[in-house]
Amino acid sequence: MDMSNPAVFVNAEFLKEHVGRKVRTVVQVVQSDGDKVIGKSTDEIQLVVKGNPPNALSTFVEVIGIADTIQSIEAEIWTNFGDTFDVNSYEKVCRLANGDYKHLFI
Amino acid sequence: MYGGNNQFDGNAAFSGGGFMPSQATQTAGDHSFSPAKNRDSQTLIPLTVKQISEAFQSSDDKTNFLIDGVDVNNVKLVGILCNKMERVTDVSFVVDDGTGRLDCFRWVNEAVDTKEMEAVTNGMYVRVHGHLKGFHGKKQLMAYSVRPVDDYNEIAYHFAQVIYVHSYNSSLRKQHDSSSMPAQVPSSAFNTPLKGYQASASNQFPGYSMDGIRGVDKMVLDFLQQPSCLALEKGVHRNELVQQLQLPSEKISEALDSLESEGLIYTTIDEFHYKSTGNG
Repeated sequence: MDMSNPAVFVNAEFLKEHVGRKVRTVVQVVQSDGDKVIGKSTDEIQLVVKGNPPNALSTFVEVIGIADTIQSIEAEIWTNFGDTFDVNSYEKVCRLANGDYKHLFI
Repeated sequence: MYGGNNQFDGNAAFSGGGFMPSQATQTAGDHSFSPAKNRDSQTLIPLTVKQISEAFQSSDDKTNFLIDGVDVNNVKLVGILCNKMERVTDVSFVVDDGTGRLDCFRWVNEAVDTKEMEAVTNGMYVRVHGHLKGFHGKKQLMAYSVRPVDDYNEIAYHFAQVIYVHSYNSSLRKQHDSSSMPAQVPSSAFNTPLKGYQASASNQFPGYSMDGIRGVDKMVLDFLQQPSCLALEKGVHRNELVQQLQLPSEKISEALDSLESEGLIYTTIDEFHYKSTGNG
């Protein structure tokens, strides 16, 4: 069992607290060019995701990678989450996972 | 169906995969083990890998883990599948749910198992159901269902469920702690409030659990539990309670009704005499 490198659930707000660490988040793709994707976080703030995005991106994309700055992520893993996604639920789980229930996650 | 399978899985894995020995061990072990091996302890619990890594192994028994005071046998994980390796009799893989990585194994006995494992590849989000066990001090999951996640809302949903189940189980445990239960090995009794209550009632005799009984109810119950009242065969008359406790008769009646419906007191020679069930 390897507990060494957890990926924390974040939105734009919590991203700030995890710069330099591994994070996971879902963004709504706004603009994509080559190695950079601009997306809207679940708390509706613009984030930049760098790395090698797959050729076809769906509306919602999950990225797992290192929090680069307070507004950007260097992504390692990209997963298309499809064109319909319940952003609110994700946002709420994200808040719980960074709040009272943090100990269950990291 | 899963219950049966799982029991077999656990035992088979124990005894090195043999079919016949597992049956034998099962019968032999049944005597001491059967009370805990009820259906409640077999429920499927949604967890994070982090919780599993911190799970407390309650005894030498390798299958017995405790999380939030609850016996954990069957667990559900949602995460990314990686390091998939196909071997002759099983497929090994790792599930990374973002909180940690857990080694998993899936026996491939039948075509349906093979087919299910062929449908999942590295990097895919999967939902895994399996039996948690300890092996050489490491925790492993003997998976009996590995399916791709096709609606990604399930990820948020799974973690919401993890949080809910954690809160539910830990609040049950708090209730138990506050009813001054002596420290003992928690059991599957925590799974349902009903069982938890029964367990505390019998364990705490004669101290008795009065968790949740307050106000007039508690005063009436306390009065009826005095040794002098317990000694009276016919119990105590309603009017005597009114006099002794100096409370309005309606309040006393209400309390008596409520305690009676809780099974804490009963009427004796007529409908006016009450006695505590606490100590016959």
